[in-house]
Amino acid sequence: MGMTLDFSILLLFTDALALGLWTTLRLTLLCIVLGTTLGFVIGLLRSSGNAVVRGLLGLYVELFRGTPVLIQLFWIFFCLPLILGVEFSNFVSATIALTLYMGAITSETFRASLRSVGREQMDACVALGLPRRAQIVNVILPQAVLRAVPTLLSNAVSLFKESALVSAVGMADLMFIGQNISNNTARPVEVLTVVAAIYFVIAFPLTRAVTVVEQKLLRKFSA
Amino acid sequence: MADMRDGSALVEIRDLHKSYGPNIQVLKGLNIQMMPGERVVVIGPSGGGKSTLLRVVMGLEQIQGGSVRFGGKPYISAKGDKTVIDTELRKQIGMVFQHYTLFPHLSIMENLILAPRKVHGESRASARERGQKILERFGLGAKADAYPSQLSGGQKQRVAIARALMLDPKLMLFDEVTSALDPELVAEVEAVILQLAESGMPMMMVTHDMWFARNVASRVIFCAGGVVVEDGPPEQVLGDPREERTREFINRVFHIKA
Repeated sequence: MGMTLDFSILLLFTDALALGLWTTLRLTLLCIVLGTTLGFVIGLLRSSGNAVVRGLLGLYVELFRGTPVLIQLFWIFFCLPLILGVEFSNFVSATIALTLYMGAITSETFRASLRSVGREQMDACVALGLPRRAQIVNVILPQAVLRAVPTLLSNAVSLFKESALVSAVGMADLMFIGQNISNNTARPVEVLTVVAAIYFVIAFPLTRAVTVVEQKLLRKFSA
Repeated sequence: MADMRDGSALVEIRDLHKSYGPNIQVLKGLNIQMMPGERVVVIGPSGGGKSTLLRVVMGLEQIQGGSVRFGGKPYISAKGDKTVIDTELRKQIGMVFQHYTLFPHLSIMENLILAPRKVHGESRASARERGQKILERFGLGAKADAYPSQLSGGQKQRVAIARALMLDPKLMLFDEVTSALDPELVAEVEAVILQLAESGMPMMMVTHDMWFARNVASRVIFCAGGVVVEDGPPEQVLGDPREERTREFINRVFHIKA
């Protein structure tokens, strides 16, 4: 059997691939926005709040950080509807799962960045007589968010790649479409290489952006 | 003696006790009475409680005993395990720290106007106008839109002083404000403080720079082991100390300088 590679076969499936990519992008963007918001709120609550809230949120964060995303997906796709007695569409289930995962990861990012704003900044706030609200809103939070930006971007890139796992629960994302084409054409090398290239073309500029942000933005705003 | 005129003091520290945890006692019954218009420089060995003293006066620390009065009113006191601080009185005191503590995400002008706007509800325009005047007075007129990371250490420290002055404090505290600076930048910061001193601003300062202490102080306090060891005019404490411990310290410091 000759092993000549024929990438032209992919040209037959550009529409399907575009549709898969669109699903992947929609899902990822939505989960980045929702997950980051959730992570921000949880990061704040875990940095203050009462002990019970902190404990419960800690449990959630550790569960989602410490288990495979694939199992989380299976769990939310198949167990959650049984428990709640509600059927979700694939897209909703995937959104819930990846949002919860992203929330757990980013809450730790925010918590670390909140802690990294030094005690000296608090001292300066007190010395200036700033009210509590202004201390948090005008001084501590903006610095924490700025410091979190590079890690958040990395988290977002990871989520974009990890979103390929939703293909395992039957969602028609880029990965799923790629696998289908690969099965139907018996050309896994060409198809999966092209799919990987599509992921790379989107992820690479974002990972570069992390470096730029670290070098430009953070240098400007760091003490 | 000033000590006798009770009630007219600007700052009156009585029997101040401060410890970090159960084992580290930093201030052990410290007494200071500072009169209006005085410029008090606190000197002494490291770990003697100088910076802690300033932080207590700024209302940044819990205390374990004693009290501080400010402008004749009760300001800080230890009540059981708690430290009661009058936060309205605290607003009349400004402080500049060793490591600038500017807000790095805000421009110089925003650093200056944040507190006047949030504390006194001053309008942005009015605060900016005052801010620009202070910056110009300190030779920083062109830096309003710069960010702290774009300034030298000396410039940052002058901005920190300007920021504190925006609130019209009745007392300024300077905690080793030149210690983190490169030697060639020290003079520009000291010049600003001298300028303030000439304008009559009461100040309490911790410094290791004995030349500067002599120039700026109206009174020098030698603090060691958590208590005031010697307290008097700069010529006396720096030039001809009465206490043996002060003499040892001064000799050592000036010996190193020479």
